[in-house]
Amino acid sequence: MSFLIGMMPPLLQGFSITLQLIVCAIPIGLVIGVMVAVGRVYGGIALSPLAWGYQLLFRGTPLLLQLFIIYYGLPHCGIVLSPFVSAIIAFGLCSGAYHSEYFRGAILSIPDGQMNAARALGMSKGQSVFSVIFPQMLRKAIPGCTNEIVYLIKYSSLAYIVTLVDLTGQGRLIGYATFRFFEVFLIVGLIYLGMVTIVLRLLTTVEAKVRIPGL
Amino acid sequence: MDSSQIIALIGRSLPALFQGAGITVLLMGACLGVGVLCGIPLALVHVYGGYWSRSAAGIYDRVFRGFPALVLLFLFYFGLGNISGLSVSPFVAVVLALGLRSAAYQAQIYRGGMLAVAEGQMDAARSLGMTKPQAICFAILPQALYFSLPGLANEYSILLKDTALAFTVGVVELFTKGKFIAVQTRATLPIYLTVGALYLLLTYAGIFCFWMTERLAHIPGLGWRSRDTER
Repeated sequence: MSFLIGMMPPLLQGFSITLQLIVCAIPIGLVIGVMVAVGRVYGGIALSPLAWGYQLLFRGTPLLLQLFIIYYGLPHCGIVLSPFVSAIIAFGLCSGAYHSEYFRGAILSIPDGQMNAARALGMSKGQSVFSVIFPQMLRKAIPGCTNEIVYLIKYSSLAYIVTLVDLTGQGRLIGYATFRFFEVFLIVGLIYLGMVTIVLRLLTTVEAKVRIPGL
Repeated sequence: MDSSQIIALIGRSLPALFQGAGITVLLMGACLGVGVLCGIPLALVHVYGGYWSRSAAGIYDRVFRGFPALVLLFLFYFGLGNISGLSVSPFVAVVLALGLRSAAYQAQIYRGGMLAVAEGQMDAARSLGMTKPQAICFAILPQALYFSLPGLANEYSILLKDTALAFTVGVVELFTKGKFIAVQTRATLPIYLTVGALYLLLTYAGIFCFWMTERLAHIPGLGWRSRDTER
């Protein structure tokens, strides 16, 4: 029991780093996701292949490798980033690629007629996308994005590999100090499980709250 | 370092990287195998189990889908030896951690497949004199597995990329090989980009294989093709 209480302060410290990582990476991922999805659907010949290539690259390679390229590879061309910033960028870019597929699916599920109707009412293409397509797309994409955010929370544990002492990193330090790896990682895992459960509850509530009746 | 040197360097490191890719494929195959072997029974429990077995499967599901892959890997590599006194080899730890994790995800895929089989099929099989296990084995499962193929292709691509985590416990697979070479030659960016290209190749080659399997295993009158022919 005293072992449990003793390891709480460092774990809490790691937890706060993990939380900061997640809170910073989620909006980046969502913004990139929307941009890439819009690029793929409405981008034409110029942007659409670019967005497709982005998805292909970031969904086809391991996140660990992307993190390594940003943290250890970019200094090769003179760009040196701190571990925290590299982790946020890697998580944001990667989850953006996955988010974009959910957003794209949501856009494609909206009937073509809506775009035509908006255009016929005198809206420009940009206006119709913003005021007609977006509000529906964002709502329809919530279940998929919830999934992706849950993945992001769990994959934030990779940050420890680029020397950031997050929840997993603290768990490892405690493990090495006490040699009670099993108990430590069980607790660490349960904390992640708790985070995931809370976020799932929260986003399910949001989904129900913003639902458009009859849609 | 100019570009011709970099290209020569990549050329020289390719054999080692291919060797690493072999280990990655081996790891992935073992994990996918564990996932299939444990995932199908788990899905059966989810769908046909009683109250207690379903609750147990639910807890398994919660833990293996709620814990990060890295934490599970450390639990199996460091933790298992810790409580049992066994020394777990890195390879076995990765296969157990990622395989059992994949089983939890695969169980959901198979469950979806089973639920997609029309309910009347069970009744029809029972009315033909089959026992319930027979009906599950010969009527429900073959169709459910076919319906699961697209989800399984997805799981494959996730699993393949997760095997890169094996680097943290010292299995020398594609990513680890790449890291060795990158550290030795100090040409980090070109080497990591090559490693990325190899992962990309493996991911999409595998997805193509699943797609081919789906076409070959197609059951006449079932799924998307029949809808096309009906039209």
